[in-house]
Amino acid sequence: MKKFLTIAVVLGFMFSSGAALGHHGWSWTTGENIELTGVIKKVRLGNPHGILEVEIGGELWTIEVGQPWRNERAGLKDGDLSEGVEIRVIGEPASDKSDKRLKVERLFLGDREYILYPERD
Amino acid sequence: MEAFLAAVEATAPAQYLRTSRWGYAAVSGAHILGIALLVGTILPLNLRLLGFWRSIPRANLLRVLVPVAATGLVLAVLTGPLLFSVRAQEYAAVGFLQAKVVLVLLGLLSALTIHHAYGLTLEGASERRLRFHALFSLGCWLGALACGRLIAFAVD
Repeated sequence: MKKFLTIAVVLGFMFSSGAALGHHGWSWTTGENIELTGVIKKVRLGNPHGILEVEIGGELWTIEVGQPWRNERAGLKDGDLSEGVEIRVIGEPASDKSDKRLKVERLFLGDREYILYPERD
Repeated sequence: MEAFLAAVEATAPAQYLRTSRWGYAAVSGAHILGIALLVGTILPLNLRLLGFWRSIPRANLLRVLVPVAATGLVLAVLTGPLLFSVRAQEYAAVGFLQAKVVLVLLGLLSALTIHHAYGLTLEGASERRLRFHALFSLGCWLGALACGRLIAFAVD
């Protein structure tokens, strides 16, 4: 049975591809905040996680924002996060440096701050 | 395939669940209840087939555990596609989800085959047959649970 489980998990990793889905929790991040500024290229909002593709210094980053209720609580309105908008994000990047991915704690559109995770620094 | 997945995402339930806080939480919770009932009964059931708790008559135990497991499976199979529909295009490309679907189908096939041949209480099946089924079934359902959980944590 152990063998079976191992095979299942290995198969899972084998089939894994670059799907733009979010991650649960923070275990996959570095634990340290960084700040990035760029232009939104693609938007996929909604449960279970909102995903933005943002061009930052010529590279495309996957930026994980909140579920609809979290974005709404932060004060974001429909259409605030849309293609072509400049965004400044503060959050934790993936520990795996080859994965250009960041989970947002707070973000700025212009001068206005939107706090997704008030309980995190 | 792309068009089909996009059509799935455009259905009314998918659109509702994508933005609803409590609706999504309810479906997600029902999916977990289904898994809890299924795996929570499959584990003692298969351990009994492997020789645990021999003092408890097998038929008595199976009469309780098989219907509960089946109910859990139905609940999970009804709610799973709803959760999938919210992000059909992304989820379809996730290896853990593909592996999970294969494991669920294998587990279901194994259960249907043995119960079709030997009935609800598996009267008359050989020890060897029961043990093989129990190990295979445990592998399928625990593997499916592990793959399902990894969808949320290991996607990239």
